[in-house]
Amino acid sequence: MTATTASARLVRFRRGVTLPIVLLIAWEISSRTGLVDPRFLPSLDEVALTAKRELFDNDLIGELGYSLMRNIAGFLIGSVAGVAFATLLALSRIADRLITPTFNGLKQISLLAWIPLISVWFGFGEQAKVVFVALAAFIPIVLNTYEGMRNVPADLIEVGGALRFSWRQRILRIFLPSALPSIATGVHLGLIYSWLATVGAEYFLAVGPGVGGLIIAGRERFDMALVMLGVMILGLVGFFLNRLAYALESHLLRWRPQLG
Amino acid sequence: MKLISLGRFAAGAALALGLLATGARAEEPLVIHVGYAAIGVDNRPYAEGTSAATARAGEYLEKEFANDANIKVEWTFFKGAGPAVNEAFANDQLDFAYQGDLPSLIGRASGLKTKYLLASGARKPLYLAVAKDSGIAKIEDLKGRKVAFQRGTNGHLAAIKVLEAHGLKERDVQVINLDSAGTVAALTSKDIDAAFGDTQLINLAAKGAADVIYTTKGDDPRFGRNAGIVGREAFIEAHPEITQRVVDAFVKAAEWSSDEPNRAALFELWHKSGTPIPIIEEYFSNDKLAYRNSPLIDELLVSQYKEQAEKSKEYGLIRRSVDLEGWFEPKYLNYALQRLNLKSFWQPYGADGKPVNS
Amino acid sequence: MGLTGALLPGALLVLWWIASDKGFLAEQILPPPAYVYETARDMIASGELFHHAGVSLRRVVVGFAFGAAAGLSLGVAMGLSRRAEDYLKPLFLAFAQIPTLGWIPLLMLLVGIDEALKFIVIAKGAFVPMVVNTFAGIRGVSPKLIEVGRALKFSDWQTLRLIVLPGAVPSIFTGIRYGLTHSWTSLVGVELLASSEGLGYLLVWGRQMFWLDMVIVAIIVIGLVGFAMDKSLDRTEVLIQRWKREELAA
Repeated sequence: MTATTASARLVRFRRGVTLPIVLLIAWEISSRTGLVDPRFLPSLDEVALTAKRELFDNDLIGELGYSLMRNIAGFLIGSVAGVAFATLLALSRIADRLITPTFNGLKQISLLAWIPLISVWFGFGEQAKVVFVALAAFIPIVLNTYEGMRNVPADLIEVGGALRFSWRQRILRIFLPSALPSIATGVHLGLIYSWLATVGAEYFLAVGPGVGGLIIAGRERFDMALVMLGVMILGLVGFFLNRLAYALESHLLRWRPQLG
Repeated sequence: MKLISLGRFAAGAALALGLLATGARAEEPLVIHVGYAAIGVDNRPYAEGTSAATARAGEYLEKEFANDANIKVEWTFFKGAGPAVNEAFANDQLDFAYQGDLPSLIGRASGLKTKYLLASGARKPLYLAVAKDSGIAKIEDLKGRKVAFQRGTNGHLAAIKVLEAHGLKERDVQVINLDSAGTVAALTSKDIDAAFGDTQLINLAAKGAADVIYTTKGDDPRFGRNAGIVGREAFIEAHPEITQRVVDAFVKAAEWSSDEPNRAALFELWHKSGTPIPIIEEYFSNDKLAYRNSPLIDELLVSQYKEQAEKSKEYGLIRRSVDLEGWFEPKYLNYALQRLNLKSFWQPYGADGKPVNS
Repeated sequence: MGLTGALLPGALLVLWWIASDKGFLAEQILPPPAYVYETARDMIASGELFHHAGVSLRRVVVGFAFGAAAGLSLGVAMGLSRRAEDYLKPLFLAFAQIPTLGWIPLLMLLVGIDEALKFIVIAKGAFVPMVVNTFAGIRGVSPKLIEVGRALKFSDWQTLRLIVLPGAVPSIFTGIRYGLTHSWTSLVGVELLASSEGLGYLLVWGRQMFWLDMVIVAIIVIGLVGFAMDKSLDRTEVLIQRWKREELAA
């Protein structure tokens, strides 16, 4: 039994790496033989050399650090504000009827369309970028938290009433724990969107250090190797953020039965 | 509104974090924020071709305030050029800036409270480069082609004036909005057919990647573009002495940049922007340094700004009339000229473009 | 939107009006509502607004159609065949990790800044959610149903057409919904970076010329189009569900 699953896993692994390897070989051959203009497709070792140069001679780690700091700061601000705002909408009937329609209208505006206004309202500093990233995390977190809190079972709410819970207790002991799976979904989406927004902020707001800026500079210098390096970094960070979100989700949800 | 309050919240949080990080200081230093509506090659924080660029690279402002421990000077270079400077002025993030004519007129038209303090980089020429094999030999050929410039900058207005003089309107060409670095990339890869710009285009042509087919240099002087040092009104009113010293420093930089024996040293200094020296030499060929680097707010300059304002309205770049009355504030410049004994150092020009005898 | 729901936007509008009228709100931070209204009116009268909206919509329709079709095919292939899944999924996942915005500069080097760039970027936006949801939908079809098909001696094609695809429809629809949203976001992104037409370009143009009224008009139109797409997808979803119920009842 274990032998077959092990061999099945091996088969899956072998199949999984086949295409990437074929692509890499095709890439290497076409750039070496000059089949494709090396300006469009630099050779693998050129990309590796660029990576080495950016890592050791230039400050790649620092640039990545800047991007991550923006991402984390914006994400944290956006998610705390998002959960608080959604709680207000979900629990206060007046706030819900007053604000939710407006929010639903505003959320239709594609995220990047806010760039010009954010730029004018917050200028060229770090502030504008963080605000934009926060906004990107805010929207999915509000939507999902609201959804989760709206679907808290009525009997749970009644129990809270019977136990004469204060509002604080109701929020902390009933609404937040019951809505946790939805909040986790929101946080997951928030993480993905905030990374997209970090790149967007670096493209469209004032220049500064960051991976997005690196990619733009690569395009302007027609340095395909640098662009590819930047894109790969974006992908890797996206991958780790996704992993982090999954880990966070399962961690949060494991505690749920005890809290509920 | 929610967005604004969210923003304010974020701003507050960022500020709180910042304060925590730096620790409460007894005396906050005054930071003079100076902006520059351009950026060097590969985003170097330097520029070339203006007395403001000299002030930056030669640290004229920093030297002026070297003995004031409480005053710091901070420069910001904008890839987004003049339009980005306006955004920064709107946020009170800048106190002074080098900015071209069209963006500062746009800023004034939309209610930014600024003053024009002295000329810098006025009378800059504009170049038109075309992609190799584009088949464009003269300006008339641009009709229907992809032409790049950066919208809202002084190059935009100058480009329209050049087009108009050759029977074309802005709508007759396909305008591609690109900044200076983006233009270089697009022209090299032939994604566009032509572009208006300056040193980056001369450089491209020198490398053989494009052809310069026209320059306003030596053509009708009305095609040129202007620029200057603009200050934020609130700052000027709050700190008139500091404003005076800032203007003094810029005038000193202009003086040094106008002195012919400094030509080689000047270009060497400007080279910090990453633009090769031969390119700068070409950019200034046949021009007297004192002509290009004059800080004077003379009749020629004022009349040109007035004309730019009218033209901008006519072309629909500004939708309301701009009132230039009271915008020019030559008080600080005049005082600096007097104090530095430079009253007759630069030749003023009349509205007709002819030298005025003083 | 109920009457209460209209209170807040109404109040904000009045506040905005008063604040700009009394000069509390600088024009360069938020232009007075009257300017925004005038600009919108002028842009509608001149046809400019419809032109740019039309350009953007066309791009989205074409790009989305390609991306969704490709995503559907890949999703079906991976959903039906374990072998295809094993070969393609890791590569697809790696590809999907990179935000669409990341691809734009790379594609600009490869294909230039013309329409092809816009179509590819928008198609990419639709492709990823389409694959993910089609795949999940097909895998979610109950094996019991498939067995029923076997018992009825359905051919592979009949199984696919009569059992698997209908079962996956709700999930595929989710893919379409996310795909369209992502396409719309990608469109704005690519038009901000490289375009001389379209709603995203209006944003850039307004930003550079410091015409915030035009920026706001563009933002409103982008929101309205997003809203209209959302609503029509809602309608379609209801229709599909009704059709499915009728199908089952029949």
